[in-house]
Amino acid sequence: MKAKWFRYVILAFLVVGILLVAGCSDDSETAGNDSGGDSDGESSGEKMNLRVFVPTFSTEPPTDDSPVLKKIEEYTNKDITMEWVPNSNLEDKFNITLSSGDLPHVMYVPSKSPSFISAVEDGAFWEIGPYLEDYPNLSQANDIILNNSSINGKVYGMYRARDLGRNGVIIRKDWLENLGLEEPKTIDEFYNMLKAFTEEDPDGNGQDDTYGMVVSKYEGPWDVMQTWFGVPNKWGEDENGELYPAFMDDNYMEALNFFKKLYDEGLVNEDFAVMDPAQWSEPVVAGEAGVQVNVLDEGHRIQEKIVDANPDNADPITVIKSVETEAGLNNLPTSGYSGMLAVSKTSVKSEEELKQVLDFLDKMNDEEAQILAENGIEGQHYEIVDGKYESKITDDAALKAEVDGFNQMLMYLPEPKSLKAESTPLRELEETLKVENEDIVVANPAESYISEVYSKKGQQLDNIIIDARIKYIVGQIDEAGLEEAVERWKSSGGTEYMEEINQLHQDAQ
Amino acid sequence: MENVQEQSVKAVDQPRKKSKWNQILKEKWLYLMVLPGLIYFILFKYVPMWGIVIAFQDYSPFLGVWNSEWVGFEHFQYFFSNPDFFRLLRNTFILALYDLVFFFPAPIILSLMLNEIRLSFYKRTLQTLVYVPHFMSWVIIASVSYVFLTTGGGVVNELLSGLIGKEVNFLSSPDWFRPMIIGQIMWKETGWGTVIFLAALASVDQEQYEAAIVDGAGRFRRLWHVTLPALRSTIVILLILRLGNFLDTGFQQIYLMSNSLNRSVADVFDTYVYFVGITEGAFSYSTAVGLFKSIVGIVLIVGADRLAKKVGESGLF
Repeated sequence: MKAKWFRYVILAFLVVGILLVAGCSDDSETAGNDSGGDSDGESSGEKMNLRVFVPTFSTEPPTDDSPVLKKIEEYTNKDITMEWVPNSNLEDKFNITLSSGDLPHVMYVPSKSPSFISAVEDGAFWEIGPYLEDYPNLSQANDIILNNSSINGKVYGMYRARDLGRNGVIIRKDWLENLGLEEPKTIDEFYNMLKAFTEEDPDGNGQDDTYGMVVSKYEGPWDVMQTWFGVPNKWGEDENGELYPAFMDDNYMEALNFFKKLYDEGLVNEDFAVMDPAQWSEPVVAGEAGVQVNVLDEGHRIQEKIVDANPDNADPITVIKSVETEAGLNNLPTSGYSGMLAVSKTSVKSEEELKQVLDFLDKMNDEEAQILAENGIEGQHYEIVDGKYESKITDDAALKAEVDGFNQMLMYLPEPKSLKAESTPLRELEETLKVENEDIVVANPAESYISEVYSKKGQQLDNIIIDARIKYIVGQIDEAGLEEAVERWKSSGGTEYMEEINQLHQDAQ
Repeated sequence: MENVQEQSVKAVDQPRKKSKWNQILKEKWLYLMVLPGLIYFILFKYVPMWGIVIAFQDYSPFLGVWNSEWVGFEHFQYFFSNPDFFRLLRNTFILALYDLVFFFPAPIILSLMLNEIRLSFYKRTLQTLVYVPHFMSWVIIASVSYVFLTTGGGVVNELLSGLIGKEVNFLSSPDWFRPMIIGQIMWKETGWGTVIFLAALASVDQEQYEAAIVDGAGRFRRLWHVTLPALRSTIVILLILRLGNFLDTGFQQIYLMSNSLNRSVADVFDTYVYFVGITEGAFSYSTAVGLFKSIVGIVLIVGADRLAKKVGESGLF
């Protein structure tokens, strides 16, 4: 009897086990069907269910019951499910989502990466270009930026507008004052400043514990600085109208030799090639490094952190656009946008649904939606005191977690309309420089061209040049090694890439 | 005639079939208990294997397996004629060889050493302690390595500059990449690897040791003539299994430790498959590369098994 009873228990366990195994696969299927079914069986009166894939910079992004999300849903008349992806592994998650074939309705696309281009070629996203004119805000998109973000002239995603002249140099102003230096105007003054920051004890603590400029694994600053020397932005145009890649420019070596000098003399951090970009600003905040070449608005974020730690040091940061060389005053522009919001064909099946999604994107540009997504709800997350905006979320983590990140859904078309805190002199300076930068930025003549070769081998090709540049700076290779890398670039598909880009350039003329 | 023959065959066949069925019925509980495992392997290990067909297509996730275009061996041809191929093969091969030469014997030596400890409490504590690194993720190990090995403030480099007066750029020098990778693996996995050898050692007949002592064998003689022969078949089987994964250098670790300055030696098949497959969206091509790697693994595992049988070991199959 007892044995029999025991057998039934085991049997019961086994059945439950099998059901669990079977149940797991079942669950995912029904979940998939659910979302599909919801959008399929759409009737005009019902709220459409929208899955939105955007990055988050916070470890605690807003949950689906955030009051702000409720308001946004109400305003846009959609039922929104947020799919937050930590910015640190955004590229991976983006590519994996693409490869799964099950895409959210609205998907943030970080860049025109090879994987995005091939997905577009496979028909994963709607071409929204022809529809834009029907929407009051989307129709006001800037044609140049729209073209920059397009794939061979066709628009597959709504760009998120950013300032073109966003790059600049962030400098510890308190150090300049301690050493009695002026803001650098020329490349020589820039070099002298770095040298002084390294050798002349700018923080006055009597110790040799500072250096000039902090650079991380992220190659952006080198790209920015080489344009100072007159190196073109990705592609240059010679006198015959032929395009050539930036690293074949005559000024390229001059820029690299300058970088090498900085490295050899210890004016940049020795470990830059392995430094995590997430910690890039820390040495400036901690008073170890005096300069960072970054986006201008990082300036006030660094300033706020320094002031938080040491309120006596009230105004420690200043920013400049760029410095002058023999090639004049140049700077590297951003592409005018920071990623785009694309509409997938796998979840949005009909044109009718597409129009609803575009309506959502359009509404997100309204003043009310922008304020909701960026500032939150009046009385709850901010207040207007004497006509001035006062945020309540800065000191309250719980409130912050209700709002923080919804602005990733904003495209700021035609312009940002959300509420701004009262500006500090530094913030004002940053804004002025951004505008001034637009006169000195170097345009990339091939920005809108999509090369077949690049969409297959782009990453490998880019890596050859990026790696060679860093190896040259730290002295692992010499000029001959650099030429070898260029040859390897050519033989790995670079030659075809150049021909293709030039063909596209001729066709566009 | 034919009919008769067929009937007789049936007549012979039926009882045998029945007896097999009877046997299964008799041990039905055992079979039922195997079932969840079986379902698991079929569902999650064998079904996904069909995915390798995309190595012979121009696969697009939005067209699906059935609608993608077939291209035959094109991806393989392209891969073998690619200048990257030999660089990848060389890097992977050297790392795998280092792994075999330096890492594979490490758990054996460590478990022999542990086995010689007579104090049971001390031995157990030590055993537990050496397991611990196995449970850390590569992300943690990579950041710990960074903190220790970085120049300008890294603990190891502080020590070195005190001792020999200069710092060594472990993290960004191609010469140090392989030793660093093998060192990390040894630190992380050696302790865990002793588990299986210690189990094998526990089953060694104690009388053999006693007999050896009577014969006048010292500690090293006993180690050489009793302990090691007892471990031999375990070592051979683990070696064969290891060869099956010969080209698996592990993705995470290499990916985390590689950078612009050591990429020339750090690019291996696993990271290549990731870069090409995920970041460039060339799914079919990277599947072909992965398939090539697995075929090398199968060839090595079967070859090693044959070899083991030739020299008189029991082997795997």
